[in-house]
Amino acid sequence: MTLPSLVETAAGPSGPRVRASLRGTEVVLAGLALAAFVVLAVTTGGNLVEPATLRAVFQFLAVPMVIGLSQMVVLAVGQMNLSVGVLTGLTAVAAAALMADRGWPAWLAVLAALVLGLVVGLANGLLVVLTRINGFIITLATMTIISGVRYGINGTGTYQGYSDGLVSLGRASVLGIPTVFLAAVVVAVLVWLFFARAVRGRQLLASGGNPLAARLSGISNDTSLVIAHALSGLLAGVAGVLVLALSGSVNASIGDDLLLPSFAAPIIGGVALAGGVVSVLGTCLAAFIVRLVDVAQAQYNINPRWVDLVVGAVVLGAVLLSQKRIGRGGT
Amino acid sequence: MRLIATDLVKVFPGVRALDGVTIDLRPGTVHALLGENGAGKSTLIKILTGVHKPDGGTLRLVPDGWQAPGDAAGGAGGRELHFGGPADAQLAGIGVVHQERNLVPAFSVAENIALQRMPRSRGLVDRAAVRRLAQGCLAELEVELDLDRPVAELSVAQMQLVEVAKALATDSRLLLLDEPTSALTSEESDHLYAVVRRLRDQGRIVVLVSHKLEEVFAVADTVTVLRDGRSVARGLALGNLTRSQVVDLMVGRAHADIELGARSVDPRATPALELEAVSTAGGHRDVSLVVRPGEILGLYGLVGAGRSELARAVLGLDTITSGRLLVGGRPVTIGSVGQALREHRIGYVTENRKEEGIFLEQTVSRNVTVTVWDRLARWGVVRDRSEDTVLARYVDRLGIRLSGPRQLAGQLSGGNQQKLSLAKWLAADCAVLIIDEPTVGIDVRTKAAFHELIAELAEGGLAILLISSDLPEVVTLADRIAVMRDHQLVGEVDNDHHYTTMSGRVIRLVHGESQESGAAEAGASETGAPETGTLETGAPRPGVPAA
Repeated sequence: MTLPSLVETAAGPSGPRVRASLRGTEVVLAGLALAAFVVLAVTTGGNLVEPATLRAVFQFLAVPMVIGLSQMVVLAVGQMNLSVGVLTGLTAVAAAALMADRGWPAWLAVLAALVLGLVVGLANGLLVVLTRINGFIITLATMTIISGVRYGINGTGTYQGYSDGLVSLGRASVLGIPTVFLAAVVVAVLVWLFFARAVRGRQLLASGGNPLAARLSGISNDTSLVIAHALSGLLAGVAGVLVLALSGSVNASIGDDLLLPSFAAPIIGGVALAGGVVSVLGTCLAAFIVRLVDVAQAQYNINPRWVDLVVGAVVLGAVLLSQKRIGRGGT
Repeated sequence: MRLIATDLVKVFPGVRALDGVTIDLRPGTVHALLGENGAGKSTLIKILTGVHKPDGGTLRLVPDGWQAPGDAAGGAGGRELHFGGPADAQLAGIGVVHQERNLVPAFSVAENIALQRMPRSRGLVDRAAVRRLAQGCLAELEVELDLDRPVAELSVAQMQLVEVAKALATDSRLLLLDEPTSALTSEESDHLYAVVRRLRDQGRIVVLVSHKLEEVFAVADTVTVLRDGRSVARGLALGNLTRSQVVDLMVGRAHADIELGARSVDPRATPALELEAVSTAGGHRDVSLVVRPGEILGLYGLVGAGRSELARAVLGLDTITSGRLLVGGRPVTIGSVGQALREHRIGYVTENRKEEGIFLEQTVSRNVTVTVWDRLARWGVVRDRSEDTVLARYVDRLGIRLSGPRQLAGQLSGGNQQKLSLAKWLAADCAVLIIDEPTVGIDVRTKAAFHELIAELAEGGLAILLISSDLPEVVTLADRIAVMRDHQLVGEVDNDHHYTTMSGRVIRLVHGESQESGAAEAGASETGAPETGTLETGAPRPGVPAA
């Protein structure tokens, strides 16, 4: 038996086009990134494409990319994580302390940093689920707590020379590509695979997109929330390790300036704040564009304040655009 | 004033919600508006209150004392009304007290009453005037309430009175009360009836929309009955009618009998799902039902009777406080939809597809496979192609129209989304399906096809609990019909698939009217038709609604 097909088959004018427009966002961002790169390269007289400059551009793209993804995975379930920045700092300082003060080998300290990130993320998720308090408030609290804890490890002191091996690995390049950037790309691919293929990833998107329908389809939204926060914490730990490997000196103030970039990348990248829609590529491209703004500041000797202004304005513009998009989509 | 609506027509996509409704509302009367679910009551209320614009027919307002020359019924007189929105209806003196509370909980009684016309002085709210206005309205109702108390602290009954006072504050000459006593105790209801009579004696028009026949007979003077979007009785004096006659008017006898339920169910088969004296935290008491493999049990009742909530309790979304739940003969406890699905093969096709059934931003494929991701996955990974294979099984069978498996569900039409939310549960290969209002908001053709499909699923051995407020649908599909009222089962009947007899029996159960049909069946409603008003007996209308 066959049900009769409805006449109005194609999407009506009110049909949402979130996915279609998401691809659109990615294409626009790719074009924008390319154009900005070319303009910057030309106007700086080719300075940008010097190997040293180029390497620096991508080296310092790694952390914003990973921190953006860290925020993206909680946005996927319709949550926010205000603690990603300070957690990055905490994991970096903690690992540095383990190496410098306790003499742990670098690999073990790195592992400890990742575990620490995961555990704090897990704690965020469990607090959200068990208290039913909004994730914004929970992570605001944990952010404040972690912010203090960071200074408990070594006060305002700076760790240097904790691991020559780790730092030289972090500053190395493979085929001209910085290792930290390669690591960030690998992480991005894994996150992409998680959302594209893994059952858990799909469940996260389902919980974020329509929690009620998810629950009535047999998905545990609580599990989704905990996993998203744990993953976010783990990615913050990854970002902490990247900082550790790249900078060679870490102190407790690391992470203070990462909160805005963590939101900027996914929001500009077309990730829905309400949850249910993610874009790994968009997030990475957006992080790249924000990075180019930084580079332009350095190249043209612009007052750094302007960078924040520009990034803030772009975030606002991106949100307005996506609202317009969704409004037109009628969802 | 007197309000006359003539031949109102309202068409929604796929449905003629109103198909010629005439209602004559005279001052100084309490006018009851009756009709089964889907008869058109809500639509009529929305037209009278300016929410919807009619597609045909007229609304006329006849000022007090106006008499059309040569037409005592006022047929041609008065001013024609065209509401641009609810505010216009309010200006015309039509106030409505909705089922849902429309009060601001944190505001005081006085502020809520005056909300729609806050008295101001020099741009600021004139608090003294607010209190005077509120006091005046409450005095008219002869109700005493503390003006400064926040509404949140009031009882439901007191809130209702505040709502009525609020309607008076805008000088309403006509008050629509939509199921005003559904949340009140009988004492509180009596108090409200006294207020209603007072309003009538002041010369206002009160329109009482109610499912409770006893209430209608206690308070109302006249009645208009809607059936299938038409007014089959217009302004009859209730004093001349019996309850049985009113039920007959609501039921009609116009429906074609459709045969989709001729299945052979083994009555000795182990029930696929059984509820034994189940009570829930949601208020159900001692509900017992049995659904056997290959059987459709229809669960009928008025909206709000607690049917969907019962389904939710079965699925662990609401707490079962006592009684037993048996699946395949074994007592079980279910804590979540996931557990119901994975451990007991029970599926729940939700009523509200957009809010509860569909992931708009996800692909069509993923929407259908969400219930089987676990089964499709290897090492926690699902391949898009294996999802597309699952989807392909249902595209033809359900006639889902899409441009491709990766199309977003939000781009499909409502009917196709409905098919997706059903396909999702077919894919899950359940033994028991609870299907909640499967054809609400679906066009007639798709609806018929859905009915065929549901019947076919039962023939295939599935046990189906069909929750529906659409009586023809239940009579068409079900093997047995259980009737729920106020969170309790009030009866169960074997379905003989004859709409006339079945609907009469079911509706009597719904309204707590024990008298069996048959006596009234002889045509009492025609022969005993009262002299006032007009009575239109439903001529057989072919093709209603699923043939």
